[in-house]
Amino acid sequence: MLIGLERADDAGIYRVNDELALIQTVDFFTPIVDDPYDFGRIAAANALSDVYAMGGVPKTAMNLVAFPVKTMDLSVLRRVLEGGIAVMREAEVVLIGGHSIEDAELKYGLSVTGFIHPDRVLAKKNLRAGDALVLTKPLGTGIINTAIKGGLASEAIAALVTEQMAALNRAAAETMEAFDVSACTDVTGFGLLGHLAEMVNGSGLGVRISVERVPILAETLDFASMGLVPAGAHRNREFRQHMVAFAPAIDAVMQDVLFDPQTSGGLLISVAGAQGEQLVTALRQAGVKAAAAIGEVVAEEEKIVVT
Amino acid sequence: MKEIDARGLSCPAPVLQTKAAIENEQATSVRVTVDNAASAQNVTRFLQSRGFATETETIGTDLVIVGRGGGGQGAAPAAAKNGEHTKIMVMVASDRMGHGDDELGAKLMISFIKTIAEMGEELWRLVFVNSGVKLTIDGSPVVDVLQNYEAGGLQILVCGTCLTHFDLLKRKQVGVTTNMLDIVTAMQLADKVINI
Repeated sequence: MLIGLERADDAGIYRVNDELALIQTVDFFTPIVDDPYDFGRIAAANALSDVYAMGGVPKTAMNLVAFPVKTMDLSVLRRVLEGGIAVMREAEVVLIGGHSIEDAELKYGLSVTGFIHPDRVLAKKNLRAGDALVLTKPLGTGIINTAIKGGLASEAIAALVTEQMAALNRAAAETMEAFDVSACTDVTGFGLLGHLAEMVNGSGLGVRISVERVPILAETLDFASMGLVPAGAHRNREFRQHMVAFAPAIDAVMQDVLFDPQTSGGLLISVAGAQGEQLVTALRQAGVKAAAAIGEVVAEEEKIVVT
Repeated sequence: MKEIDARGLSCPAPVLQTKAAIENEQATSVRVTVDNAASAQNVTRFLQSRGFATETETIGTDLVIVGRGGGGQGAAPAAAKNGEHTKIMVMVASDRMGHGDDELGAKLMISFIKTIAEMGEELWRLVFVNSGVKLTIDGSPVVDVLQNYEAGGLQILVCGTCLTHFDLLKRKQVGVTTNMLDIVTAMQLADKVINI
């Protein structure tokens, strides 16, 4: 076993031989959008993301389903599964089985198995001083989903955020293979700063983030300034704010955006400093349009400085 | 005072209930009870974005947020004291006044901002959109003037989408970052809207 529970990484890794390791992960959740097909796509993209975040290639998957069969039409379940299959096909992953139970609330996700070379595992705690930090998707899905729940978001922004959540991190993962990457994770429930804190913790290094360079979804700041912030963002901040030093200009609204829990968020890549801008250019050419270098790793105490 | 019990509700429900109370019932003071810190912060931020002064107290495991002096009936504290004032909202959509000569336009705008205090207590809200947001950032020749106005109780709103567009979020020195819904609501509440 190369990576297991004690490391708390994105996925578990088991070495088969010197050339091959298995990478395994599982993820499922309750609906975050109304459309069942879109929910299926998002849940599948989210589950597959952990494999990409470690530098692996997903190969097979199994469906995990909880369904209220007495109160919900089976056609809903069919659409969820079709959405999931569409994303698995896009990822060239084979669906080899699954399990379903009856439950009061719909839940869907995948158990995923992939391949990775044992020497090329991208753990999240391998930061290297002088590296550039690159983020591949804009922040704000938690806040915008809260606004959607409140009926305050436009259809255009709802459609945009759905497509972003359903977008695979595959192109980003394939692009970073050609670069000198030391560590990687995907930004999900802990928010950007929560996941940065995980990377920093125990590394002996710190990071500096420049807010102006962090990609943020349109209207996120507007909704955050109205108090449409998910409870998860507050929890994330309470848990990690002792590790973060904010410049005075970073107001509470922006802090909430940086702690906003993301669904199927982007990859957070630590790449050799000299290659930061090259990686961003390559990512954008590969269709990862929002990719941006947002900061750097510094040889200081384990602290996140946000300016 | 409008009482709202939002205990047992998760985000965004407490904010939406508060929003409904001040928009549909024109409540000018509210007392919102919630049972978690996240909801308390969100409700506080929402009330402040609507011009209320807020106080929070803890009662047992509940948090009670009291908001006063905002919403439907004249949000500015000055106007609330004497409900007779006309509410004038001035919307500044450019960092220059008028068309023709930009240099002259910039000077006129500085003079306009410095002179606008002559409206007295009827001046209710000053809203900056599009390139108007550049007047609120560091280096702006009127930032001190605007800071004084704000300290004197004038509500200054600055369009967040515009700040983001010009990459100026970090440089804003005065006013509350706002959104289109706030701006539209303010237009509706104002007795007079002046576009510059």
